[in-house]
Amino acid sequence: MVLGVAKSRLAAERSNWRKDRPFGFVAKPANNPNGEVDLFTWHCKIPGPSGSIWEGGLYPLDLKFTENYPTMPPECYFPQHFYHPNVYPAGKVCLSILDPSKAWKPGLSVKQVLMGVQELLKSPNHGDPAQQQAWEDFDLNPNEYDRKIKAQAQKYQAS
Amino acid sequence: MNGEAASPGWPQVVRAKLLQQRMKEAKILAVGAGGIGCELLKTLALSGFENVQVVDMDTIETSNLNRQFLFRKRHVGQSKAKVAAEAVQRFRPSCKINAMQANIKEPQYNVGWFKGFDLVLNGLDNLDARRHVNRLCLAAEVPLVESGTAAYLGQVTVHIKGTYECFECQPKATPKTYPVCTIRNTPDKPIHCIVWAKDLLFQRLFGRADVVSDLDEAAEKAEGETEGDAAAAAEQEASFFVRQTGESSFAYADRVFHRVFCFDIERVISMKDLWKTRKPPVPLRLDELRHAAAGAASTNGIHKSSSSQQATADLSACRLLGIRDSHAAWSTAQSAQVFLMATQLFLDLRSDEVGAAVFDKDDALAVEFVAAASNLRSTCYSISPLSLFDIKGMAGNIVHAIATTNAIVSGLIVAEAIKLLAGMPENCRATHLRSSVHTGRSGRERIIGPSMLEPPNPNCPVCGTAQLSLEIDTHKTTFKELLDRVVRRKLAVAQPTIQYDGFMYEEGPDLDEDEVADYAKFLGRPLHTLPAGGIKDSSVVEVSDQAQKLELSIIVTHQEEWDEEKDPEAFSLGGKLPVASADAPAEDSSVAGLSSLTGANDDDEGIEEVFEEPAFEARPNLTSKRKRSDEEQSPIEKRLKAANNLGEDCEVID
Repeated sequence: MVLGVAKSRLAAERSNWRKDRPFGFVAKPANNPNGEVDLFTWHCKIPGPSGSIWEGGLYPLDLKFTENYPTMPPECYFPQHFYHPNVYPAGKVCLSILDPSKAWKPGLSVKQVLMGVQELLKSPNHGDPAQQQAWEDFDLNPNEYDRKIKAQAQKYQAS
Repeated sequence: MNGEAASPGWPQVVRAKLLQQRMKEAKILAVGAGGIGCELLKTLALSGFENVQVVDMDTIETSNLNRQFLFRKRHVGQSKAKVAAEAVQRFRPSCKINAMQANIKEPQYNVGWFKGFDLVLNGLDNLDARRHVNRLCLAAEVPLVESGTAAYLGQVTVHIKGTYECFECQPKATPKTYPVCTIRNTPDKPIHCIVWAKDLLFQRLFGRADVVSDLDEAAEKAEGETEGDAAAAAEQEASFFVRQTGESSFAYADRVFHRVFCFDIERVISMKDLWKTRKPPVPLRLDELRHAAAGAASTNGIHKSSSSQQATADLSACRLLGIRDSHAAWSTAQSAQVFLMATQLFLDLRSDEVGAAVFDKDDALAVEFVAAASNLRSTCYSISPLSLFDIKGMAGNIVHAIATTNAIVSGLIVAEAIKLLAGMPENCRATHLRSSVHTGRSGRERIIGPSMLEPPNPNCPVCGTAQLSLEIDTHKTTFKELLDRVVRRKLAVAQPTIQYDGFMYEEGPDLDEDEVADYAKFLGRPLHTLPAGGIKDSSVVEVSDQAQKLELSIIVTHQEEWDEEKDPEAFSLGGKLPVASADAPAEDSSVAGLSSLTGANDDDEGIEEVFEEPAFEARPNLTSKRKRSDEEQSPIEKRLKAANNLGEDCEVID
């Protein structure tokens, strides 16, 4: 039927994204080989911030929206076991602007969300541990942390 | 409206023979035959409505019987819609009620089907179905009376396309969710522990484990240097909760208890940063709790007696433990006993469900498990434990329903329905039922408060979009032909984006080559063969222009036969076109935009003409049927103001 609030907003988000796309980023609703589109799932790519140990990587990120968007934020997922202190083992990103009880606002655009996640890559939030390993390395073993981030950047190298 | 004898005002009009006849004949769709639905069907029948269609997918449950008064114990398990229809017809044989046990969201209930009704009355219990019915009523241009109740509170509103707000003109509050970080590491309210117990632990132990992900802490022991190691560690983590071969259910329950209420808590305590501003949790030791619970029946003994129990449906750990008061909070030792017992019962007597169980508020054992687990976690985090009854309510999102509220709200629905049938939409009100007495403007005390209905929100993403109708042969016409002949030539769209549920097509210079190539594959396909079901009869297609500010939706009707003389284009477009405002032209797209606009102006049926002459009346048929001359002259706002005085009397429905 008529798209409804969530899907209309997502259609508008896609339209705005096409008009004002930040360099190096990708964001598009998912489609399957039959050409069917799922507006509630977006496949995105986030470039590692230049000048940081993340540089050179193009990191895949999935946004998962619901009918309650934009009242509720999307959930953001890196691949499973993505190495970052604020990313859960399943890949889910823990970030205040993605938290409806913290800084999420229905007005935040997909672009702002993706830029926020890019910022989180180089500036992890120490108070919100989401995985033990990266969190401990970041805290206690900075050299090891840098080494693993660089190896990960290599793995997700932009082609 | 002017007090003439022939046209009495509201509510005197109810006595008019003509209106009574109209009520008899009107085709009414009642969606839902539950709490509100039962009351509504009864009130409709007793008010003189005789032609009602009721749709409800649910079957009758024992917990419905206290308020859904058309149902009896013997009906448990049967269709709500069918039993309700039979019950009403027994005391009102003249009322024809056609019942269907089905989900209103099924595709056979399409726009055409909705058009067959004069009014739609909602007695639904969820947002999703309400949105769906709202959108269909808008598309079919049938007035909708929407209702809802929660304990003592109730509400009835009227939605008429083009006249009043639709259901989605204002954002609706959505069910509260909680951030995963709080649930996993730093709960500070009982609900956080309940969500943890229900969505994480219950799911992990008895449900589909692959659905849970966030319960897994990072694999702390793995050196985690490579992806493979980390994956293996995560798997090891998940496999902890799998029962090992030969492990007794008793040993398993013990092991899980130690893991989640002791080991995991200690691990969280070690994350020192979390406890700088919070009080750290305290782990629970099962041996100490067992000691404290001395005197309670031993776990092994109960286990034996439970295996003789036959009916798995009403298994209860509390009953076996002799805990009767569901309104008192358990001691920590009792919670531990219930936790162990419920886990064992699940594994021993409902083993076939393990791995696929879904939490259900009416599943006593599942509720007991969640109550015990959440109370134990609450204890760790110094949060007050709650009673089984409270936890059941919170875990199941239960709002206690009150029959009287439903009855009052149903009366209000029927009152609004009668106003609509009387052709008096200006007398319709949004009505709120309050939980306490309120003093109105007139100084009278009341609990029912009417308020004026708001006009549609022009920015509403659902009803604010222009709607066109398109008759076209969806079998022969290709997607490219639709784009060229209708979207570009008729609608002057420069860079079309075409969407419907499951399909998206975009054009524009910003797209990547591979995107353009992917989209090009759709062009030669006949409309009905496009992805996700295609464009076919009663499809709704959204069209927008990336280069201009233009959005509209097209309702498609499949039409195979075209007279070449009369309709050389072999399609027909109807409806009111919005004026395309080019206030947001994309800098890089003006060339494409201009050329197609010029093309449109060449057409002898130029778009200006369409802009000025709406092909259909925006106001519903019901209104226009009863249109009187004074109505033609005065705008609806004026009439609404005039009707304002009547507002205070609206609640008189007897």
